[in-house]
Amino acid sequence: MIGGLFIYNHKGEVLISRVYRDDIGNAVDAFRVNVIHARQQVRSPVTNIARTSFFHVKRSNIWLAAVTKQNVNAAMVFEFLYKMCDVMAAYFGKISEENIKNNFVLIYELLDEILDFGYPQNSETGALKTFITQQGIKSQTKEEQSQITSQVTGQIGWRREGIKYRRNELFLDVLESVNLLMSPQGQVLSAHVSGRVVMKSYLSGMPECKFGMNDKIVIEKQGKGTADETSKSGKQSIAIDDCTFHQCVRLSKFDSERSISFIPPDGEFELMRYRTTKDIILPFRVIPLVREVGRTKLEVKVVIKSNFKPSLLAQKIEVRIPTPLNTSGVQVICMKGKAKYKASENAIVWKIKRMAGMKESQISAEIELLPTNDKKKWARPPISMNFEVPFAPSGLKVRYLKVFEPKLNYSDHDVIKWVRYIGRSGIYETRC
Amino acid sequence: MPYLGSEDVVKELKKALCNPHIQADRLRYRNVIQRVIRYMTQGLDMSGVFMEMVKASATVDIVQKKLVYLYMCTYAPLKPDLALLAINTLCKDCSDPNPMVRGLALRSMCSLRMPGVQEYIQQPILNGLRDKASYVRRVAVLGCAKMHNLHGDSEVDGALVNELYSLLRDQDPIVVVNCLRSLEEILKQEGGVVINKPIAHHLLNRMSKLDQWGQAEVLNFLLRYQPRSEEELFDILNLLDSFLKSSSPGVVMGATKLFLILAKMFPHVQTDVLVRVKGPLLAACSSESRELCFVALCHVRQILHSLPGHFSSHYKKFFCSYSEPHYIKLQKVEVLCELVNDEDVQQVLEELRGYCTDVSADFAQAAIFAIGGIARTYTDQCVQILTELLGLRQEHITTVVVQTFRDLVWLCPQCTEAVCQALPGCEENIQDSEGKQALIWLLGVHGERIPNAPYVLEDFVENVKSETFPAVKMELLTALLRLFLSRPAECQDMLGRLLYYCIEEEKDMAVRDRGLFYYRLLLVGIDEVKRILCSPKSDPTLGLLEDPAERPVNSWASDFNTLVPVYGKAHWATISKCQGAERCDPELPKTSSFAASGPLIPEENKERVQELPDSGALMLVPNRQLTADYFEKTWLSLKVAHQQVLPWRGEFHPDTLQMALQVVNIQTIAMSRAGSRPWKAYLSAQDDTGCLFLTELLLEPGNSEMQISVKQNEARTETLNSFISVLETVIGTIEEIKS
Repeated sequence: MIGGLFIYNHKGEVLISRVYRDDIGNAVDAFRVNVIHARQQVRSPVTNIARTSFFHVKRSNIWLAAVTKQNVNAAMVFEFLYKMCDVMAAYFGKISEENIKNNFVLIYELLDEILDFGYPQNSETGALKTFITQQGIKSQTKEEQSQITSQVTGQIGWRREGIKYRRNELFLDVLESVNLLMSPQGQVLSAHVSGRVVMKSYLSGMPECKFGMNDKIVIEKQGKGTADETSKSGKQSIAIDDCTFHQCVRLSKFDSERSISFIPPDGEFELMRYRTTKDIILPFRVIPLVREVGRTKLEVKVVIKSNFKPSLLAQKIEVRIPTPLNTSGVQVICMKGKAKYKASENAIVWKIKRMAGMKESQISAEIELLPTNDKKKWARPPISMNFEVPFAPSGLKVRYLKVFEPKLNYSDHDVIKWVRYIGRSGIYETRC
Repeated sequence: MPYLGSEDVVKELKKALCNPHIQADRLRYRNVIQRVIRYMTQGLDMSGVFMEMVKASATVDIVQKKLVYLYMCTYAPLKPDLALLAINTLCKDCSDPNPMVRGLALRSMCSLRMPGVQEYIQQPILNGLRDKASYVRRVAVLGCAKMHNLHGDSEVDGALVNELYSLLRDQDPIVVVNCLRSLEEILKQEGGVVINKPIAHHLLNRMSKLDQWGQAEVLNFLLRYQPRSEEELFDILNLLDSFLKSSSPGVVMGATKLFLILAKMFPHVQTDVLVRVKGPLLAACSSESRELCFVALCHVRQILHSLPGHFSSHYKKFFCSYSEPHYIKLQKVEVLCELVNDEDVQQVLEELRGYCTDVSADFAQAAIFAIGGIARTYTDQCVQILTELLGLRQEHITTVVVQTFRDLVWLCPQCTEAVCQALPGCEENIQDSEGKQALIWLLGVHGERIPNAPYVLEDFVENVKSETFPAVKMELLTALLRLFLSRPAECQDMLGRLLYYCIEEEKDMAVRDRGLFYYRLLLVGIDEVKRILCSPKSDPTLGLLEDPAERPVNSWASDFNTLVPVYGKAHWATISKCQGAERCDPELPKTSSFAASGPLIPEENKERVQELPDSGALMLVPNRQLTADYFEKTWLSLKVAHQQVLPWRGEFHPDTLQMALQVVNIQTIAMSRAGSRPWKAYLSAQDDTGCLFLTELLLEPGNSEMQISVKQNEARTETLNSFISVLETVIGTIEEIKS
């Protein structure tokens, strides 16, 4: 149970303060003084001050803190804070000081509905919409009133009855973040993809959906008869290490038949979350070469190779090559894109807008060093990379998404479906 | 300007709120109210406009209502009398046709934390429990807990509890979970809500309908249920199986805990569960939600205590990434330290060696300590790495390496030779107290193997005047004396100088005393010094004691998914110990002890007073609110059990007496006004066995005595006597305060 919830800006000024329990005392100030103003590295996201536990999450330079006196389970509190951030983001976009100040009435309203006496209540954005009167004066019509009653008594918490759309449409986004840690010799130390399937549904009634992907277990089960098909086209299926689903998915069916069927919430939601570690397509290889020429000069050469179909284009590529603290000057030559030495960040930042697959590009730099008597060896932080590619690095493919609505007369064919794959870099580092 | 000049702001807002033009314009009116709330958030005292805000609550604008209610919940305890004015509006809203308004009003009314509100909220809550909209029922159910909380330590209302138990069958999932939460709080004294077989099975069947918060909560409540048979146990486990794969890490952890606890007699089931949650836990450990990742890592460490090999094949998952936050890196290093084994030790050490040169000194030091920990098992490799680190000649690295060496030679004497070879030259790179102490200790204890030990110590002796840390001086004294025993020729002269300095010039008393002590010891004779100072130089058995082999899963299963793994067991023990003491305090007045009675009873009386509760084993139950009618009836029907006269002089304040009696849980039913003659007071009290004590106090005019008559509904002399002595003490105390 949560005793209070506070939001601070980076200076420690209170933007939102909502106390649910009296037992937490003057927690608002305690957190400000002991954590925000402490100006040290944060040693733990859970802090105990005067026998009260503070759980905090940072979003850009905003601090969100939940306070409790009880021995709660920490994972749940953090999940709640994340949920709170999601809900706020769904209402007003990015969580920034300005947005919070402008929407503080709304936030108080939300906090009132999501938590009561410190216990989490309904937190689905869709279901919450009925209770939040952000726009204000709008007095309730009869229809809306009955809607609330039906919604609050409904069996399915995540969808209300009587939704109607002229055009039945759904969007599927496969969003993956690929993480890599590579040794200087080009050996993969660890790599994993954590992905999410996000669905935006604008469907009438209570549609029953069935989602299929190239999960190895399913393919193998079905493909027993047509084994040659899978062998012909190489990597057709992927092995998922573990996956979790939105509440709406019937888990019993997934366990028995591994089929994913559900009645979706209205609007945007995260259908599934998964993780793979095998056979990951690493979109980029980074090959670093660092040579120390005497005590005052470093030569750095970095080659990046794109490793996907030539017809695809990667975007927003950024390579960050760290430089020593005593750098005095840098000369950079690159064949493609723009590179700049940023003294404040101690790094050479190389940006390439677009790059096709199976290409190679190179940057070389000469770094002049100030002679120092500091014997400390330069720790050589890893070269990190950011990018966005239009495919799923895990190899996941959506095979189908079928929609059935028995009561209303629209069929699977009438639904307009959109599928999009986006692979982004998570922590993508190569040691040098 | 939020923290200063609040008076002007309040004045201005007050004016604005009263302005009829603004009141007529909804948007402007709401804007002013928003400003009030904004200042309130910033910590400004806004209680001055309470009256105006109460007026603003009578509106059809829901947003405005919400804001005003928020304001009232914050300031109601400060202005209870004004808050009562708002109750009327709230009550009206509780019967509004719109369920949202009903819910809002009920929730706000229950959140007004002020005395006396109970009588107004009782009926609306009861209505709310039977409301047809589940939104209102949710609010009402939690309202019961709030109401109970307001009463403080009042009696449990049996009818209400029954009603809540029956609402566990409600069709709305959130109402069900709220019922559990509410019952838990109301029945806290009796050990919380009872989970019997029908309730447990009902909850299990409803699990899939709940949202993640509800699931986590119910899993927690189910911990209390003990299945009757093995068959039932496994049925339950099968039902809950899918929650081990839930999308919410909190639910996964909750389910894991439940499995571990329910299957405490079946170790193979426990192991199986831990194998199955490996995937979800690893996923959480590498998730982008850093805080969750931190929590998961803490739990991984917990599991590793029992199953050291559990995550071995995944050790690469715990390699740190450069951009991860500090707290995750520290946890990962700890995990790596725990899961090291013969196969992966080489790679793990390689990785840790990389961290030792990290830019963050803190993290680098943690990595070095971790290598020191691994060195207990894989001594040679680790000592080699640590020796190489000394070559970097970095202050923050050298000091930690030397400290690690000190701890290591104590546990693993076989590495002494290697350590002694590595030490020379370190002294140049150590500046802090801890590092110096470690180095000096090593030089003292193993000095005979380090050729230049006396010269290093000599440097320290030379600079002892400018040494800032007394602990270093103490260490230096002991070390030099030890070295003197093994290499007397080289040390005698400087030992003399050091002792002279410590005895004659040193200002720190502890150091001076230590110097004197050694000096006198030396006077006794060298054999005696040897006998006292030459203790064993290592203790390998300590290592075995320190990490006892695998701890059974059951030893920490009950701590799983709480704050214990996050804080660490030792830290948690100190936190909860203090909390325990704190929790006792408010309970004291309940057991009719006087300890918490504050300024009413002067210090000198306390001793005498505190003995009382023990003497008669009398426990007065607080807040037993008898109605005057009932009192009168009982009074007339009983005979006087005891009559006594106490000396009493002059004037006094009946209020003081009433308060004093309240402290010991004696209720005042009726009392004459101050100064009236004859003066009478009727008191009632009840002990924990249900025995009633009714008392009349009588002051006759002109008489300097107080006559006490006590009646009892069950004749028991020993409790009667202790009750009378309590009463006497209170009256005696009042008498003393007066004089």
